[in-house]
Amino acid sequence: MPAVRCRGVVTADELVGFREGRPDGIRAVYREYSGLVFAVTLKALGRRDLAEEATQLTFVKAWRAAEAFDVTRELGPWLATIARRTAIDVHRREARHPTSTLDDATPATVVELPVGVERSYEIGEVRAAIDALPPDEREIVRLQHLEELTHAEVAARLDLPIGTVKSRSFRAHKRLAGLLGHLRETAG
Amino acid sequence: MTEDDDRVAYLAGEGADIDEVTRADLDDLRSLLADEALWAMPPDGIEDDVVAAITAEAAARPAGVAGGEPATGRVPPERATHGPATVTPLAGRRRRAMRIALTAAAAVIALAVAGVVVLRGGDNATEFSVALEATELAPDASGSARLRQTDSGWRIELDATGLPRLDDGRFYEAWLRNADGVLVPIGTFNEGADVVLWAGVSPVDFSTLTITEESADGDQASSGNRVLVGAVELP
Repeated sequence: MPAVRCRGVVTADELVGFREGRPDGIRAVYREYSGLVFAVTLKALGRRDLAEEATQLTFVKAWRAAEAFDVTRELGPWLATIARRTAIDVHRREARHPTSTLDDATPATVVELPVGVERSYEIGEVRAAIDALPPDEREIVRLQHLEELTHAEVAARLDLPIGTVKSRSFRAHKRLAGLLGHLRETAG
Repeated sequence: MTEDDDRVAYLAGEGADIDEVTRADLDDLRSLLADEALWAMPPDGIEDDVVAAITAEAAARPAGVAGGEPATGRVPPERATHGPATVTPLAGRRRRAMRIALTAAAAVIALAVAGVVVLRGGDNATEFSVALEATELAPDASGSARLRQTDSGWRIELDATGLPRLDDGRFYEAWLRNADGVLVPIGTFNEGADVVLWAGVSPVDFSTLTITEESADGDQASSGNRVLVGAVELP
């Protein structure tokens, strides 16, 4: 079997297990990519309850389509695409019949796309990059941006020397800055 | 500091001397990094729900049905080996049972539910038909296709019902797939009635016809959201 081009943790055997519907394979793929999928669906839908539903549906749909998946490709972007489309379907269902299931959805006039769907693409790209960071660097980035802490505050929170925080922060942001070109290319 | 270092420093929230365009791009990236959705994680229970849903569906599939194909309860094809070769013309779009006699001169295959009838037999078959089955995404859909070899390639006349019209950047796409899972796109359309598609590969080698729902998002790969599927059964 060709080498699987997933980011690192899902092995070829686990991917086969996923395709075959084995719990070990399903869990391996889910644990590696659930954060990415949830981030994409939450950004697209703006509601945790709908994002949870869309996340579950995404993995089920991915399994149904797994036979046709080219294992030499990255799994993350493929899952993110399914996630975005699933979020659109959930949004449209909610717009027509709130709280019903997708099975009850009937064709209707065009419903607007969810507000966050365009931004969900970039969220997926950045999330994939974040997930690829070493855990210590990822936490520093999170504290700096999500919690808006300074280097000194991060150092105090993590009980690390400020020099260590600065060097890890620099390394992490250097990797993230490399994303910029890719995001520019794919915008619009 | 180099320009790259300036960009990295600005991204990390430090002052740096950078041009306006780069500043705007980096501000955009910083806004994404500060977005709660970026860092959100699903609740723990969803993993078990996913495992339960997939394993239940996998267990419900008939033995031998490939992963990723929906359980359709299809009846396996039948082959008859008596009498002269006769072909029952395909008519209508619902599944029907067919019985076709085979001879040594003409390799014609009988299909009980869904599949392909070779209308001109032998190794140089130049025309096939496919009966398409619905998937769970479009349970009311059905269709058929006729594949005919021409000098320009394989002309495929598709007629499908029960597929809602897709517009505004969404559309259907047809594919031929081989046994290795290689997909060849053969055309896009908005509705399933009277569609003409073209393939540059032979349905003998790419023997599964699928229709998927797609959107104009720059991703050329199949979405995997299949609405109709049909398989070529070779003599």
